[in-house]
Amino acid sequence: MNVRNKDLSSTSSIIIVVSAILLVVSIFFPWWKMIFFAPQYPEGLNIIVYPYKLEGEIDIVNGLNHYIGMANFSEKTFPELTYLPYIVSGYAFLTIITAILRKKLFLYGLICLYVLGGALGVWDLRKALRQFGMNLSPTAPIKIEPFIPPIIGENTVANFVTNSVLGLGAYLLIVAFILLLIPLWKDRKTK
Amino acid sequence: MVKGCKSMKAWVPITSGLLAGFLAATISFGNFSSRTENKTVSGSTKSDAEKVYVPFGKQDEYYLFASGGHSGQMFIYGVPSMRHIRTVPVFSPDSATGYGFDEHSKKMMGDYTWGDLHHPAFSETNGDYDGKYMFATDVGNSRAAVMDLKTFTVKDIINVPNTSGPHCAAFVTENTEYLFLPTRFSVPLGSKYEPLDDYSKKYRGVMSAVTFDEKNTKLNIEYQVALPPWSYDLSDAGKKVSADWAVMTTYNTEEATTNLEINASQADRDYIVLFNWKELAKMVKDGQYEEIDGQKMIFPEKHKGGIYLVPVAKSPHGVDVTPDGKYFIASGKLAPALTVFSFEKAFKAIEHKEFAGDRNGIPILKYESVMEREVNPENALGPLHTQFDDQGMAYTTMFISSEVVKWDPKTGKTLDRVPVQYSPGHSVSAEGDTVSPDGKWLVALNKIAKDSYLSVGPSHPESMQLIDISGKMKVIQSVPVNPEPHYAQMIKADKIKTIEVYEKDEKNQNAIYKQEQAKIVRNGNKVDVYGIAMRSKFIFDVKSKRPDVIEVNEGDEVTIHLTNIDFDEDITHGFAINSYNLNIEVQPGQTNTVKFKADKAGTFPIYCTNFCSALHQEMTGYFLVKPKQ
Repeated sequence: MNVRNKDLSSTSSIIIVVSAILLVVSIFFPWWKMIFFAPQYPEGLNIIVYPYKLEGEIDIVNGLNHYIGMANFSEKTFPELTYLPYIVSGYAFLTIITAILRKKLFLYGLICLYVLGGALGVWDLRKALRQFGMNLSPTAPIKIEPFIPPIIGENTVANFVTNSVLGLGAYLLIVAFILLLIPLWKDRKTK
Repeated sequence: MVKGCKSMKAWVPITSGLLAGFLAATISFGNFSSRTENKTVSGSTKSDAEKVYVPFGKQDEYYLFASGGHSGQMFIYGVPSMRHIRTVPVFSPDSATGYGFDEHSKKMMGDYTWGDLHHPAFSETNGDYDGKYMFATDVGNSRAAVMDLKTFTVKDIINVPNTSGPHCAAFVTENTEYLFLPTRFSVPLGSKYEPLDDYSKKYRGVMSAVTFDEKNTKLNIEYQVALPPWSYDLSDAGKKVSADWAVMTTYNTEEATTNLEINASQADRDYIVLFNWKELAKMVKDGQYEEIDGQKMIFPEKHKGGIYLVPVAKSPHGVDVTPDGKYFIASGKLAPALTVFSFEKAFKAIEHKEFAGDRNGIPILKYESVMEREVNPENALGPLHTQFDDQGMAYTTMFISSEVVKWDPKTGKTLDRVPVQYSPGHSVSAEGDTVSPDGKWLVALNKIAKDSYLSVGPSHPESMQLIDISGKMKVIQSVPVNPEPHYAQMIKADKIKTIEVYEKDEKNQNAIYKQEQAKIVRNGNKVDVYGIAMRSKFIFDVKSKRPDVIEVNEGDEVTIHLTNIDFDEDITHGFAINSYNLNIEVQPGQTNTVKFKADKAGTFPIYCTNFCSALHQEMTGYFLVKPKQ
């Protein structure tokens, strides 16, 4: 048993640092978007979700959503936006630690944390979409079947076609995660 | 078998040759659709119909601002499609936009319910349109207005005292320093009663120098000039070398007081008034004026300098400065000929004091010493008004011979002519009165339509005709227009930067942007409503059992401040109360106010008048007026 096999190479260490940087950078870019198109809105209305804020034509979307009885949403209805940047920074901190310690065991743990965090994030988003889509006011002027907007993909409600897509921030997260996997292959045990 | 194989082989080169040929053909010709799209609208290979066709999704290249004459409005058209885009009310109330009903426009309008909008003029920077403001004058009730081109709404109107009918306006100096308003009718100062027998002694043709305070969007009169009691018809500001000067035409220098058709057409010559506005401003600064009813009045016979007369063929209409600013062109409107006058020659004559006497204390320059050349297009009659193209060529409308004549001011040579239907007053070319005309499109503003359009009875529309001036002049489109464009301005569309929604103005005491803030404040017989309009409801009092109801007592003074909180393009709401004769508009993000007395007891439905959403019909409420006990 070679002790060195439990360590990560310096190249791997650098790759992990890059991953941490990407993680921090992703905070400043949108993670997720919904774009609404209708005959009257060929230019599209946007809900753009950053880890710390919402952008886009939120008031207009809320104004239109009231016709189907959907509750108003805002930054206030998403407390996640207040702490998400800190969680991401925490992950980045742990990633840097891993790069410094250069222990494979830490990297395994970190990857597990990433998977867990990612799963929690998706679950949280789906919960919110479910919350808004399934609890439509019974007194709404336009009655429609409650629905769950997809996390990724197209959905049609009344005259609106909605596209849910990942933002640049989410792609940075994916790249950051892939970067963490590279050392596993690079520093794999060889006979 | 062997033979068959051989013949198969022979096919291979043929087939591949054909394929290569198809491929080459596709590469060379396959993509022609996108290439035709890139052609400009005025491309000469297009048919007339193609030149004016602007498909959905594309927009016109120019805005045309046509004066609406005695409609008191401004008509906005797109060129080359000649589609009517909007009517902007200026001097007349307009229920479609609530103009004259809401507080701001009601105050601007005063007690007037009509106006006669004659000559529109854009604000200028360095002699070119800057696309920021549009000025207009009212011949009917002696007013001037300024329209903000961010919103296409009128911001200020002033009444011009001592004057009556600023027909000879508005013209704007090179950097919008002044907007001059010379008058069509001479009246006694203060429009006081004076017998017409004293016309020559007591009447004056007062010209006003108006300044525009851009910061507060306010018009002000800086000074006035008590010109002789003549009629002042049209005017133009100098450009470049003549930038400090301006010219205007006069008629009735006979000072006739009745039957002007005959009596004002007796003298062989009338005058062009040539004045230096910088010199006049300096005179005012030096105290060379008299205070008349709060106005600083220059009397040319007492306060000498800065104003000269140039003889011109009788009863002239337009006077237009060439784009290079070196010449001005004028002509008697009954005469066949046009005269090109030289600014340089005029300056020299002034310098050498070569005067042929004076009228009312104003020195007269000799016609011969200012005249550059006379131009006489064969059989052309009734030259009214001239526009220019990018080569400096002149386009003059001929009212009587019903045509547009293109000619060269440098040689006097007639270059082209095209008949129009019928009797053009003014014409307008693309930025055709600036220092740099675009040389594209000319619109003839015809006074007579006759049988051009489907009949609507004895009262006919006017007619505008689009002329392509890129090659040989050709009328390529005719459109009917409401009475009555007198002049128009054509501006490159990208110079105008409009807004789509009003920004939140947290400093505005009358605005509320949250439903929870909607309230009705009662103070004695004063009722102030701070309400909201949104798709698809009114909220006047959020705490009320029925938030869309306003209940008052008979005789209450009611003020309604309404804010449209749909900050969304093209979501305008209206607000009307049945039988109360009022209707206002709130544009997206705008706060508007309407004031009235609840002088009728009863029940009056409130509703949104500007179709806003699928549930617009439900956007209603009630105005309840409790009868006096």
